[in-house]
Amino acid sequence: MSYAHPEFLVDTEWVANHLKDANVRIIESDEDSLLYAIGHIEGAVQVDWFSTLQHPLRRDFLTKEQFEEVASTLGITNDTTVVFYGDKSNWFAAYALWLFQYYGHNNVKIMNGGRIKWEQEKRPLVKEVPSYAKTTYSAKEADKSIRAFRDDIFKQLEEKKPLVDVRSPKEYSGELTHMPNYPQEGATRAGHIPTAVSIPWAQAVNEADATFKTPEELRALYEGKNIKADGEIIAYCRIGERSSLTWFVLKYLLGYEKVKNYDGSWTEWGNLVDAPIEK
Amino acid sequence: MTLPAKLQEIVDDIASMSREEKLETLIAYAESFPDLPERFKEERSKMEAVPECMTPVFIMAEKDGNGIIFHLDIPPQSPTVRGLASILMNGLNGSSLEEIISVPADFYHPMNLQEAVSQQRINGFIGVLAHMKQVAVRISS
Repeated sequence: MSYAHPEFLVDTEWVANHLKDANVRIIESDEDSLLYAIGHIEGAVQVDWFSTLQHPLRRDFLTKEQFEEVASTLGITNDTTVVFYGDKSNWFAAYALWLFQYYGHNNVKIMNGGRIKWEQEKRPLVKEVPSYAKTTYSAKEADKSIRAFRDDIFKQLEEKKPLVDVRSPKEYSGELTHMPNYPQEGATRAGHIPTAVSIPWAQAVNEADATFKTPEELRALYEGKNIKADGEIIAYCRIGERSSLTWFVLKYLLGYEKVKNYDGSWTEWGNLVDAPIEK
Repeated sequence: MTLPAKLQEIVDDIASMSREEKLETLIAYAESFPDLPERFKEERSKMEAVPECMTPVFIMAEKDGNGIIFHLDIPPQSPTVRGLASILMNGLNGSSLEEIISVPADFYHPMNLQEAVSQQRINGFIGVLAHMKQVAVRISS
């Protein structure tokens, strides 16, 4: 058994062999955005979920026009193969990939294992920030089929369709709205969306080197919780970054066709008046 | 409000910087982050790591005459947290317990850090300060 769409994954060796490939743009997307400055893969550019990918004013990510501007500045054309990698088992790499897919850039890949594996293999990191000639980039209309909004969640509940909560067990059970001493991105209520099953995102990756688990292991993990290929599935976490990794796994590694990421996630649902919550 | 002189100096310095200079300063702080002294490593290994996305921050302190010296351990994979914590370590080390617990939670406002790092990081930074105060009180009682 292999991954359903193995073309969305490359290994570190592939990246090492394509550093000078003009048709490939390597993008680092981290949870801790200073990591890029401290050292990155030669030729890689950076996107930061907070300063590059978010809308400057609204709680939303870039508009289509703003996305085109970012892609153009990074020297990406509509034909460029874009490879993402990052820290923390590629959470934010998956988030960036999801956003690129949202605006129709389909030729995207994740470097399996991300920064963790690259560093474990003692591959070189550099400090030089490359610059690429600006391109003309035209994005497609947003692909709403991969993004869920709060109304989609209410509909999902009404139609009794599957929801996957990928946060840690204590966030799911409602013991915590955030970690002790770290009141980040809090919500006024704790718990989970009713009927959501708990499958923490980290179960999809190997702790040792941050690579994805085997197709057999992934299938057993999700099917074991009744998250199956024919389902219309919505994944969520706290701000939508960990669930983009789960979205990537379900959609490309297992080949589920109808999977959405709810990026409003718990910071929206746990603050929403009149929204049902289970503990 | 009166801050310990060293902390005040750092705050004033960063307040006058552009966004790029702030980022460079944070990187410099992160890169000069000291290793945890050997004598704390055994105690460190007994601590539980904070799970999930939160960076594990380990805080120790010891008395040095009337002052308190902090020792922090934060993984190099988290340079932003290291950089911010380093500001606190550099600004507070050697201060007395009274000076440390009098640092208001909003002392960082003039630095306008939110133009360089996310609010989530700043909240974490304030969490580290609160935690440092608790440790300082604990070793002083």
